[in-house]
Amino acid sequence: MKRFFNDVKKYWKYIMYATKSELKNEIINSYLGWLWLILEPLAFMLIYTFIATVVFNSNVPYFPVFVFVGLTCWNFFNKMIVASVKLVSSNRDTVTKVYLPKFVLLFVKMGVNIFKMLVSLCMVFIFMLFYRVPLTWNLLYIIPILIILIVITFGFSSIIMHYGVFMEDLVNLTNIFMKLLFYMTGIFYDIASRIEGVYRFILLDVNPIANIIYNMRRVVIYGIGPSNISLFIWFVLGLGVCAIGIRTIYKYENTYVKVMR
Amino acid sequence: MKKKEVSISVKDLHIYYRDMRRFSLKKSGLKGKGTGRIVKAVNGVSFDINEGEIVGICGKNGSGKSTLLRAISGIFSADKGSIDLHGHSISLLSIGVGFQRSLTGYENIFLSGMLLGYSKDEIEKKVDSIIEFSELKDFIYKPVRSYSSGMYSKLAFSITAILETDIMLIDEVLSVGDIHFKQKSYNKMKELISDDKRTVIIVSHNSKTLIDLCDKVIWLHEGEIKKIGKPDVIMAEYEEFMKNEG
Repeated sequence: MKRFFNDVKKYWKYIMYATKSELKNEIINSYLGWLWLILEPLAFMLIYTFIATVVFNSNVPYFPVFVFVGLTCWNFFNKMIVASVKLVSSNRDTVTKVYLPKFVLLFVKMGVNIFKMLVSLCMVFIFMLFYRVPLTWNLLYIIPILIILIVITFGFSSIIMHYGVFMEDLVNLTNIFMKLLFYMTGIFYDIASRIEGVYRFILLDVNPIANIIYNMRRVVIYGIGPSNISLFIWFVLGLGVCAIGIRTIYKYENTYVKVMR
Repeated sequence: MKKKEVSISVKDLHIYYRDMRRFSLKKSGLKGKGTGRIVKAVNGVSFDINEGEIVGICGKNGSGKSTLLRAISGIFSADKGSIDLHGHSISLLSIGVGFQRSLTGYENIFLSGMLLGYSKDEIEKKVDSIIEFSELKDFIYKPVRSYSSGMYSKLAFSITAILETDIMLIDEVLSVGDIHFKQKSYNKMKELISDDKRTVIIVSHNSKTLIDLCDKVIWLHEGEIKKIGKPDVIMAEYEEFMKNEG
């Protein structure tokens, strides 16, 4: 663990610089540039709003904000997991030429996606003002909730990244699993009010992302505090997963290059 | 000659490639993992290199030269034995320092430099001379993926050559670019090497280069050291051996 913090300190500048360049590059290389950062979540929000209000007759208040909050968190988690599977081999050029702790790659990806998430979050605020969602001090809870989301995401991504090096079909597996998780996370429906009993517990508390989105909505839309217990438990578990992931990566990272051909 | 400090010591180094190549679910479900055979790429190699020494490594294809370099630079872990760098910074100069292909050459100079342990300010001071040496001109602001292979290696060479790490590992790149750049990099190499603080390991098939530049040559054969000695002696033997082999 001590090694981890030393390495973070040592490579921090690199992480920042690499993140910046990657973001800049992504923006420069597409025609619409930074507009994509806004357009992408906006388009998905419209799609889900259409499906939920027109097809399913949903009557959740402030629905566009509701979806947007969900999408913001989900997109971050989803992008990180999907990218992690191939992260080491997509950085083949760097990894085969110079030593760097492999979680640094993960940090760079996190940096890029955190930035995108923050942009998306700004849009949540704009929508809140537009739909006149009442603002309360509970909004400040966003910060700890985001930190927990980042911790959990890092933990799972690190483990996925490790296995992604060795297992070729992990891509297919994660694709299917993430699709399943997407529908179970309640991005465009409200788990808390629609589902009851054991399933409610499973969907809302066992699934960390659903839990985070649920709490995010509580503080953003309903103006009440988060439900602390399950969130706290997930924070602790998330730290545990991070520790396991970091340890595994340190133990095996020097064999990654041997496996990649 | 005064006694010099040891800068790299390699002790009884073993590196294996287990046949744990990426497995798919189906395969692993049937067989279980790690059943593959073991390829011994480097098999019990030990040597010391003193500070400021220039060492050549020769050997036929697949004799473990590149694996050895990668192990010294820390990319591979040793399966047995140890490598001690005595706290020196190190760079592996093989074709491409490891560029992010979608980023510009300029950004890659910073990224590679930072990975070699330099601060942003230090690189900023040297970035102009790197660009000048690489002769890339405006291309430095274009993404690396648009480079020709010559430009790619020129940039790679320039970064390592100008940033000057304590230990340089050179993997057959002395034949980079056109004749003009080749001559220039060869001269630069000689200049770098003449600094008696810098330790250099060169992997090459070119006898002339090795005899010209090196203090001693290690001849690797099938992952083991066949001989260590004076460059001209070893290279003569090596060439004789290779002729018979063919």
